[in-house]
Amino acid sequence: MKSAWKVIKEQIDHFYLIRRLSLYELKNKNKNNYLGMAWELISPSIQIMIYWFVFGLLLSREDVTMGGEPVPFILWLIGGFFVWTFFYQSIIQGSKSIYSRLRMLSKMNFPMSIIPSYVIFSQFYVHLAMISIAIIIYQVMGYYINIYYLQLIYCIFATFCLLFAISLITSTISTIVRDFHMLLSSTLRMFLYISGVLWPLSKLEEFPWLLNIMQLNPLYYLIQGYRAAFFGTEWFFITNWHLTIYFWIVIIVLLIIGANMHVRFRKHFIDFL
Amino acid sequence: MEKAIKVKNVSKKYKLYSGNKERFLDLVTPKSYGKDFYALTNVNFEAEKGDIVGFIGINGSGKSTLSNIIAGILPETTGFVKLNGEAALIAVASGLKGDLTGRDNIELKLLMLGFNKNEIKQLEPEIIEFAELETFIDQPVKSYSSGMKSRLGFAISVNINPDILIIDEALSVGDKAFAEKSLEKMREFKKRGKTMIFVSHSLGQMKEFCEKILWLEYGVVKDYGTTDEVLPKYEQFLKQWKKMSNKERKKYRNDKITENMKQFQSRAFIYGQRRRKW
Repeated sequence: MKSAWKVIKEQIDHFYLIRRLSLYELKNKNKNNYLGMAWELISPSIQIMIYWFVFGLLLSREDVTMGGEPVPFILWLIGGFFVWTFFYQSIIQGSKSIYSRLRMLSKMNFPMSIIPSYVIFSQFYVHLAMISIAIIIYQVMGYYINIYYLQLIYCIFATFCLLFAISLITSTISTIVRDFHMLLSSTLRMFLYISGVLWPLSKLEEFPWLLNIMQLNPLYYLIQGYRAAFFGTEWFFITNWHLTIYFWIVIIVLLIIGANMHVRFRKHFIDFL
Repeated sequence: MEKAIKVKNVSKKYKLYSGNKERFLDLVTPKSYGKDFYALTNVNFEAEKGDIVGFIGINGSGKSTLSNIIAGILPETTGFVKLNGEAALIAVASGLKGDLTGRDNIELKLLMLGFNKNEIKQLEPEIIEFAELETFIDQPVKSYSSGMKSRLGFAISVNINPDILIIDEALSVGDKAFAEKSLEKMREFKKRGKTMIFVSHSLGQMKEFCEKILWLEYGVVKDYGTTDEVLPKYEQFLKQWKKMSNKERKKYRNDKITENMKQFQSRAFIYGQRRRKW
């Protein structure tokens, strides 16, 4: 618990640093491309076109029901896919964040817990841009901005907390055992298929026990929250209050585990390089 | 006089593994695998404010390890280091990001050291001027020559105005003119009463600059005193060392290490020092 407070306090105290460093992060990554940061938007757009082509045209998926109304598959896909990209990129980058940047640090008293968070933050700018694109698409397609959009703020904050808690754990393990990062990057894609990004979990209605288990995936909770906002169906986190409580318990547990591991090992990270 | 650096009973242990299997077993099992290697054993030394201390010793004596520990880059295994003020280490290979320009690197580095926007704005032109990079300052660092890189690193570390400056073989880079300029800056620091640590193999520079000398031998303080006192002894040792054959050197080394370890272990036993795994 003490470590968790310490880590949270470091985030608050060094918020300016997180913001500035995350900008350098983006800059550094796209320095060699002529199109620069535009690639952060181009590559997910291409990906979504591929999925739309495969699932929307070739396999002609039927409309998905959101709050009693049918929604075209591609629009339903976009709402979850942008969250997925944010999640996937942040987890991958977050996991290698510490060991790949440790050499840069010239001081050990640098608050190391902000390394994963500024890496996540650099993905966050991209996420914001993608949300804006999604909103524009939705306006064109006739799903207008509504009062439920307010819950986007909650969803973004919750996503951030989840990513940070996971990254604290993964970045520590990856620094000590480099294989962990390889394992993570090769198994993470599985979550694309089980988190309700590509197909609605309601397809599993015949297997209620399986459906219940899959709903416990915190990523699923977040994706459904974003979609509820975009399509204006409900206040997702209130109507599913039991999932909300479960989600925050998971976050707190992950954060306590992650913070303890991080604080315990951070002094010795440099010995593992 | 005020103490600027206090190093007490500092030891640094590295684990030497014969392979990944041993490394893994050591990590997950409580039993200890691999061989212990002490880069530093029970090092004690103090420096007063304004002292200029030179670290000398043959290769592998732990000079860089000690300076890294004092700078706070490496953690010590046991013992503690107390500093009165901020320390900055200048080493040849200081962490610069190759894809970013020199200017971005300056800003990034200063940010990481905890400077705010205004301070950075103020420091940046001074650093650029000192580094003499001119138009290259807006080119990515990976296109720099090694001299340019170390000049940039040196310029950053010098201009952040630390209380304690640790210079690890960094003055041997760059051309004569830049080295002279750096020395000039050092003299300025000396006048301002800053504490400095020099790590160098150049005895000439040591003689000119340092007031005190810490002689390290295989991780142990062999001698610590004023330059006039220690340096002649070291020079004499070097002469002897040069005469030794490889076999003799090896024997000398092994004897010394066993002797040091024996002393260290008995002392650790007396004080009941807890030796941590990490």
